[in-house]
Order: sequence, then C-alpha cells, then structure tokens
Amino acid sequence: MLSRVANLVYWMARQLERAENTARIVDVNAQLVLDLQSRQAADDPKSWEPLVYVTGDDEKFFELYGETVTERAVTEFMLFDKRNPSSLISCVGLARENARCIRDQLSSEVWETLNTFYLKLKSDDYTRYAQLGSAEYLNRVKTQIQLFYGVAESMIPRTGLWWFFLLGRYLERADNTSRILDVKYYMLLPDIHAVGSALDMVQWASVLRSCSAFEAFRRSRRGQLNLERVVDYLVRDDVFPRSILFSIGEAEQALGQITADAIHLEDTEPARLIRELRAELEMIDVPSVIADGLHEFLDDIQIKIFYIHNAIQATFVDYDTATARIQA
Amino acid sequence: MADLFANYEHGKFYDEMFAAPGKARPHYRRLYERFGLMENMAELMDRQRTADQTFIDRGVTFTVYSDNAGTEKIFPFDLLPRIIPSHEWAHLERGLIQRMQALNLFLADIYGPQRILTEGIVPREMIETSKNFRKELVGCKIARDLYVHINGSDMIRDEAGLYSVLEDNLRTPSGVSYVLENRQVMKRVFPGLLRDYRVRPVENYTNDLLNLLLHLAPAHVPEPTVVLLTPGVYNSAYFEHSFLARQMGIEIVEGSDLVVENDKVYMRRTSGLSPVHVIYRRIDDDFLDPTVFNPKSLLGVPGLFNAYKKGNVALCNPIGTGVADDKAVYYYVPKMIKFYLGEDPILPNIETFLSGNEDERSYILANLPKLVVKSVNEAGGYGMLVGPHSTQQQIEEFRAKIIAHPRNFIAQPTIGLSRCPSVIEGGTIEGRHIDFRPYILNGETIKIMPGGLTRVALRKGSLVVNSSQGGGSKDTWVLNDDITNPPVPVPEKIIV
Repeated sequence: MLSRVANLVYWMARQLERAENTARIVDVNAQLVLDLQSRQAADDPKSWEPLVYVTGDDEKFFELYGETVTERAVTEFMLFDKRNPSSLISCVGLARENARCIRDQLSSEVWETLNTFYLKLKSDDYTRYAQLGSAEYLNRVKTQIQLFYGVAESMIPRTGLWWFFLLGRYLERADNTSRILDVKYYMLLPDIHAVGSALDMVQWASVLRSCSAFEAFRRSRRGQLNLERVVDYLVRDDVFPRSILFSIGEAEQALGQITADAIHLEDTEPARLIRELRAELEMIDVPSVIADGLHEFLDDIQIKIFYIHNAIQATFVDYDTATARIQA
Repeated sequence: MADLFANYEHGKFYDEMFAAPGKARPHYRRLYERFGLMENMAELMDRQRTADQTFIDRGVTFTVYSDNAGTEKIFPFDLLPRIIPSHEWAHLERGLIQRMQALNLFLADIYGPQRILTEGIVPREMIETSKNFRKELVGCKIARDLYVHINGSDMIRDEAGLYSVLEDNLRTPSGVSYVLENRQVMKRVFPGLLRDYRVRPVENYTNDLLNLLLHLAPAHVPEPTVVLLTPGVYNSAYFEHSFLARQMGIEIVEGSDLVVENDKVYMRRTSGLSPVHVIYRRIDDDFLDPTVFNPKSLLGVPGLFNAYKKGNVALCNPIGTGVADDKAVYYYVPKMIKFYLGEDPILPNIETFLSGNEDERSYILANLPKLVVKSVNEAGGYGMLVGPHSTQQQIEEFRAKIIAHPRNFIAQPTIGLSRCPSVIEGGTIEGRHIDFRPYILNGETIKIMPGGLTRVALRKGSLVVNSSQGGGSKDTWVLNDDITNPPVPVPEKIIV
C-alpha cells in the first residue's frame, strides 16, 4: 500500500483510540466525583486536576483556562475545545479528515459511520453535554466509536490497510492505558495512612473503570483492590484487551502481518523495538517497579512507544527513495 | 385538485418540460401525470429532503475557495430530472463523436505536421501564443496516437431549443462523479419512475474509463498499474477523484507519492517503490513537473515529463490538450471539422467574436452590455463578464482589460439558456436555467455515457450554472427508446 495511505490510516486509528480513551477518562472521573464524600467535591480542583496532567497537555490547559481547575473547564478542554489537539472533538475531526483523504480505500459504510458521527459531534458543546448528563452523553460517544470499530472490523479487508489500522490503534491504547494508570499518581490521598482506605479503593476502582477493566479484574483476580494487583492487571495481563502487554502484543502481530509480504522489512528496527518492549513487560517484577517509582516506569513505557512510532515512520513512510527497494 | 404547475411561469425561454402552459412535452408526460397535482408538493419536498440528506451522509461534497478558505459544501441537487428523448440523444451523440474526432486530429496535427497552420485555416500565431500550447511536445510520439482522451463539452439550448456547444473541456473536465451519484440517489428516491421511463444506465462510465486507461499503457507491460493523480484533499474536486479511484479500484496518489528514477515512474509503498504505467491525472499541465513547467509547483513530480516523453508512462489527458479548449481556438472548431473530416458540423458553436480580430473587437467594445465576455483560459465561471447583468463599472473594467490584452478574450451573445422546472425552497416549482455537460471518451473507440451533468442555476434569473457560483445539478435521463414520443397511454396508476 501507499506509504501516505498507511500513515493516514495509522493516525486515524490513533486519533479514534485517543478520542475513546478521553471520553472514558472524563466519564469515570465524573462518576468518581459523585462517589466522593461531599457535593462540593464536584468543584474541588483536586477532583479534576489529575485529568489535566495525565494527558500531558497541562501547559496548554493552564494557558487557555488559567490556574483555576473547574469541572467545566476540564470537561470543555478535554471534550469540546478545538484549540486542544487531543480533545475528543479534535481527535474525531482529525480522524475524519484522515478518513476523507483515504475515502477511496474505505468502504462507503466505514466512511459514512465516521462522517455521520463527526457531523453530529461537531456542533456539540458543554451545554449539550450538561443537558444530557455526562453518563448519557459519553455513553453515546463511546457507542458511536464502538459502532465505527464494528463496521470497520466487518468491512475492511485484511490488507495492509487493516494492519496499519490495528498497529495505530494498539500503540495508542498501550500509551493511553499507561496514562490512565498514571492518573492515580496525581490523585492525592490526604496522607500516607490513607493507603488502603475507602477513598483509596474508590480511586483504584475508578482507574479500572476507565479501562472498562473493573469487572474483568474482579473475575480474574480475586481479593482486594490494591496498587500491586491493579498495576499487575493493567500492565501485564495477557488476555485483557486493554492491558499494556496485550496491546503491545497485538501491535507486534499487526506489524508481523505488514511485513509478511515484504520479507526485506522483517526484523528491522520497528519489530526489534516492539519485541524488546513486549519482553520487558513480560519480565517485570511488579513490586520492584512500584518500589522504584511507578510514574517513572510508565513514563519510560511512553517513551519506548514513541521510539517504536518513530521507527515505523522511518521504515514504512519517510524512507529514502534512493536506497529503497524496487519491486517487480 | 389544483394543477401544481398552474402558476408556473414559462417566460420567453425554451422550457424543457412544457411546450405551452399546461401542455407537457411527450417525454415529460409521465412525470407530469405522476406529480402534476398540488397535493403532490409535500411528497416532492419530502423526497427532496431525503435526497439532500443522502448526499450529506455520503459526503458528496466540493470545496469552495472564495468562501472562507475552502469550505466543504454539498453540491445542491434538484429532484426534477432533465429528460432527453432518444432521437435527440442520437443527434447529440453523432455531433459529439464528430467533434471529438476533429479535435483529436487537430491536436495530432499541431503537435505534428501542422498542416492546418500551414494552410492558414487556423492562424499560426493564435496557437503559438496560446498559453496551453506545449511546443516541447511537437514531434513527440504519443501512446496509441490518441491526443485527447476525455472531453467534457459544455452544451446549451437556446430560445428555440437548438443544442449548441458552448465550450470544450479537454484538460481535466470534472463533474462526472455527480452524474453517477445523482443517479444512485434517484434510484432510491424515484425507483418506479426510472423503471417506467426506461432510462439508460450511466453505470458503465467508470468501466469504460478504466478500459481506456489500460489501453494507453506501454505495450510491453502485461499487467499495467494505473493511478489517479490528485492535487490533494483540499482540491474542489477531491470527492470526485476519490470516487473515481474507488470505482475503478486504482490507487489515488498525490505528487509526493510518486518518484521518478531513470525516467521511470514509481509510487512509494510501505514495502518499497512500485512501478506506475498510466496516470489519470487530475492536475493541470502547469503543475505536473516542476522541473519543466511551473517551478513553484509542489503538486507535481520532478522528472515526470521526461518519463512521459520516453513513453514509459502514459498520461490521461495527454500534455498539451489545453490548446484546443482555449476559448479563442474554440472559434475554429467548425473549420477543423470541415478541414479534417470534410463534413459540416452536426452541432454548431455559439456565435463568437474574437477580440484579437480588429473588426470583431470594435464590435465587442461597442456592444459590451449585450455580450458575455470570457477570458480564454479560465474555467469555472471565473474571469467572465455577463453584460446584461453587470454594472457600468464592471463593464468598464473589462473594456480596459480587452484593450490591454485582446488575445485573452472572446465574446458571445447572451443566450437565454433553456429552463427546466426545479423544486424551490419554500415549496414551489419554478423554471431555472440549465446547461449540459456530456462526457466523451476517446480510446479504442469513442464512447459517450448516455447522460451527463445537467447543471442548474438555482438563483432566480441567474444564467451562471457553475457550482462555484451557486449552481446545482439534476439527474439527466436519456431514454432508451421513444416509447413516450409519440406518447403511449399512461396506465391509470404508476407505482413510484
């Protein structure tokens, strides 16, 4: 397939995955706030601040909204603000723009699903969101994205297009899950003795819910919710589809499919980096990761995913034509 | 119940539907019987809304430049079809084939022996000063001796209903995707009517186009690769580019996807470079190859011109066809038909005055308020003066331009284009001016899609049908036979 097309579909997948995770994070936090002790908590900056940090867009946020972190500001920033390139509306808009560039490659149904979603979303704003209520509104958004995945899954032929779609989606998911896990780093507990408290539990449950992992976790890991177990589950469970290890494994397989009919590209930089990351995730010892600093560990994973991304670009998209192989 | 067309204003124009008030032409009778009553208006509006929504959902859009930096718009669609009975179509077809043959011979001639110039039929200076004449290509061998592959001639009908050719579009004529999409939508909205009318299908167009493209491939290539070259997603016709590529199952590429190595063209794939043999290009000559033409172009492919000259890649349309759709050269097409084919033109030109000819220029300058003045190389309704609809100031601006650059302008009388009933917002039906663009393919044989793009000037009284200037389109129904002419008794009930 064309390098440009591969790049567009890869980004389209990343943007949609990011949009979905953004919707999940906001949704879960809105619910979490309701679970916290008092009604005032809704406007307590502490309740919404972690979201700003976790996306890595904190500088942009403070620049646009000033220092006061309110529920409304964060929600607007993360969902509807076109000035924020990672907002829900920006991500879906970009994904739709990319899809528009490769319309000829997508079946009409795939395109129409995304286009219709975008056209509906485009005019939404905080007022509409508040009117419907966060749960109802974000549910609709998630359903639309899931609908797109369903249509794509049943319509896109298993050619390079599909494998680059999966590659983008799972790399983004691995990155996003690491960020969601990191939310907890920013959720302050009143003091060190609160570890294991009811508040601590509620917070961990909300982290799991952000990944739709709460029920799956309960089924697969018996016993208490605690740091170690949740980290273990979200980082290295090998069957839960939103865990980091699972996502990296899927990305690795997609990459394998991409190079299956280009033998000369097998075992090049992207494959090597992704294999190393998977091996590392399989081998980690969770207690010592936590002891050495979970935040730093998650940061490191995000950096490694970024390197994999760069290697993919350099191998399949921005390669030097003078030295490229000419096919018969 | 009242007649839906009771208040329909006929005007002094040729009306496609009515021969006289209340008297539908034979080929419109079924439509009239089906929808002629007032009570049908609500249903028509419903169907119009269904059609509009379908276009939005399908993303059938174009981009307008003048309108806040490239906004996506739906090409307005009018529900009521333009119907062409088969005997009229047969006439059009004969005339368009003749015209295509002559234009191809003309291009072969001026890029070859230049007989028509030597014999003084077309002034040599006119060709050599045409900005679309590519003298680099004189004497260059071209795939299958086909010097032009696709023409989208613009045609109009005057007050008497006479069809004539307004201009030829021999570079990258657009609009065919709307023809195909319009039909898709009509099939959903009017299935019964289409069947009862025995409308000829337009579907084969993309297949014919693909066969044409494959026919152009270098002879030694067993399985040629065809691509469509687009300026990119921000081009006003991008929807069409992607639509056609999808229908033909070929890659749509941008300039940056193509590279030339050793005078051969390749596209950048994820697995490496892969050869390209035929390019259906939807960008103008000027932007094809920055090393030969416009050095500032970022759209093109450096080295493409040499690959083309060596015959390693075919381009559709070929380079240099624009010289024949120069509006001043258009003036000479009837003479070309006579010169190359020894025939009289079946389809006439519009009466045209060249401001490059001194006596005609003084006529033009004396009659500007009555004339339509066109810049010879502009398309899309840009660079145009419609005398009767212009202010004194606009007229004076054009007067100055004509005097400064006489070669760049032509003038034609203002033609009262034929009108066709159209659904108007607010729930009435009114006559609106229309034109017609058929698509002529010149490959192994000349093929013309039975149908074409009927554009409609939706603004009341407007004569400008271009999509960039508030125009819309209608489905064009070419009938399979003249069963409706003379009319057969219409069954009591037509299920639509």
